[in-house]
Amino acid sequence: MRMSSSVFVLDNGGWTAKVGLSTDSPITVPNSIMKAKSERRRPFIGNQIEECRDVSGLYFMLPLQKGYLINWDVQKTVWDYIFSKECCPINLSHTSLIITEPPFNFPSVQEAMAEIFFEEYEISSLLRINPSTLSCYNYRHKNPTSKCCIIVDIGYSFSHIIPFVNDMKIKAGIRRIDVGGKLLTNHLKEILSYRQLHVMDETYVVNQVKEDSCFVSQNFYNDMETAKLKIEDNTIVKDYVLPDFTTIRRGYLTDAGTTLDQQVLRMNNERFSIPEILFHPSDVGIRQMGIPEAIMDCLKACEEETWPHLLSNIVLIGGSSKFPGLQNRVLNEVRSLAPIDYTIKVHLPEDPITYSWEGGKLLSKDPGYSNLIVKREEYEEEGHALCYDKFDI
Amino acid sequence: MAGRESGRIKDSIQKRILDDDSRKRRQKKALDALEQDNFHEDPHADLVMSKKVPKFQEDNKNSTRKRKTRSAEYFKLRFRKNFIQLVEEDLNYNSSSPNYTTAQVPQSCYPERHFCTVCGFPSTYTCIPCGARYCSVKCLGTHLDTRCLKWTA
Ligand SMILES: [Zn+2]
Ligand SMILES: [Zn+2]
Repeated sequence: MRMSSSVFVLDNGGWTAKVGLSTDSPITVPNSIMKAKSERRRPFIGNQIEECRDVSGLYFMLPLQKGYLINWDVQKTVWDYIFSKECCPINLSHTSLIITEPPFNFPSVQEAMAEIFFEEYEISSLLRINPSTLSCYNYRHKNPTSKCCIIVDIGYSFSHIIPFVNDMKIKAGIRRIDVGGKLLTNHLKEILSYRQLHVMDETYVVNQVKEDSCFVSQNFYNDMETAKLKIEDNTIVKDYVLPDFTTIRRGYLTDAGTTLDQQVLRMNNERFSIPEILFHPSDVGIRQMGIPEAIMDCLKACEEETWPHLLSNIVLIGGSSKFPGLQNRVLNEVRSLAPIDYTIKVHLPEDPITYSWEGGKLLSKDPGYSNLIVKREEYEEEGHALCYDKFDI
Repeated sequence: MAGRESGRIKDSIQKRILDDDSRKRRQKKALDALEQDNFHEDPHADLVMSKKVPKFQEDNKNSTRKRKTRSAEYFKLRFRKNFIQLVEEDLNYNSSSPNYTTAQVPQSCYPERHFCTVCGFPSTYTCIPCGARYCSVKCLGTHLDTRCLKWTA
């Protein structure tokens, strides 16, 4: 009998956690506690929200702020749910845990994490690692000849550009753009509320409006001209039928002006000006580079001889990389910025949300896995110092 | 800055034109709003008061040496640094190597683009009193009626 053969991978994102044993497929769990107006008897933790019939006016309690773990009481509650019978019943004391943390995570957050997992959940061993490192592992596993890659993680709280050379993260090259899915949803809420209908309290629904309606333009000013045309000639304008939570549980996009008795949002230039903020943060007053420019800026911190390898292995991960057209736009813009003789390739995994989790699953089967982890006995003897050495980020 | 005599003239201009500081405050308020988790009050706020507080005090008393599970509230008290404290701490201890603060991308080399604050289409005009962008007489009218100097940050 092999006691500590099971490895649990917990990719702890700002909007969702991706969780599961390395022998299974990942489950996506909202990383939050949600409170509904329609159900005052209890809050909903993680996927319990599926039991909530009417999610209008949903109120969110989130463990992460700006991508970093701040609200520990909320996080503990969500983790308790994840490890419970309701979600993933596992014997933690016989489990090795891979947990993700953002780049440049703060030491006191790291210490708190180790304390909770070793002392409270009493796991048998721990590996604390960046999602991008797991994605790099996944990518290298599938592309063994690629010696370098740039992981572009477009998440909920922010976007990161992270270069890897021979599997080593180049810390000096890491770039953070303070634009992610949360900001995009909030901006969409703001403009819809001003122009059409008060939806400031509808984060949950407007996030779905964004996911179902938005795309990345390939020719921004052309699309703006198209969006100015009358409905008959306008190929962009659509109506979004809002959910009513009796017959419609999730809204959907439909041809403009064809709906009679349902409440709709008219989606026109909103469809592409929202994801555009990833390319031009200054559109909303954030004086930072967009993704393609940040990729080029990240290269400056890497040896010039690695540039062609890095540029031909750009990998997009994270929920906000799923906007239709995003991959092609990144490709075209990096192409126009980079030296002409370099090959540019931008890879979008089939599921960019679980790509890091899958990397963790693969890593747990690596013969070198046992050298990466800190065991509970070791933690009890050597404490945080050992974690710093082993999980050097 | 300017002497006393120009102060009065400035005062009268200020009635019609939003000063730089107010514009900056408005902009900061708009950016902060983009980070917010919720725009409405906790719908269960009144329930939390009646249920959670007594429970929390009980947990506190019981948490002596041999505990099996600690309450979520314990961790809230145990680790209670906010984001700004964490960033400052990091800058103090870790200023020589790449860190959270240094990782932020620099400013873009490209010029800013401007969009009508009413309809979202590209704009060429600036509202003189408040500096907002607009694209047409129609949108300017809406802007003056709804936003402009209607509220101050
Ligand atoms: Zn306009
Ligand atoms: Zn104005």
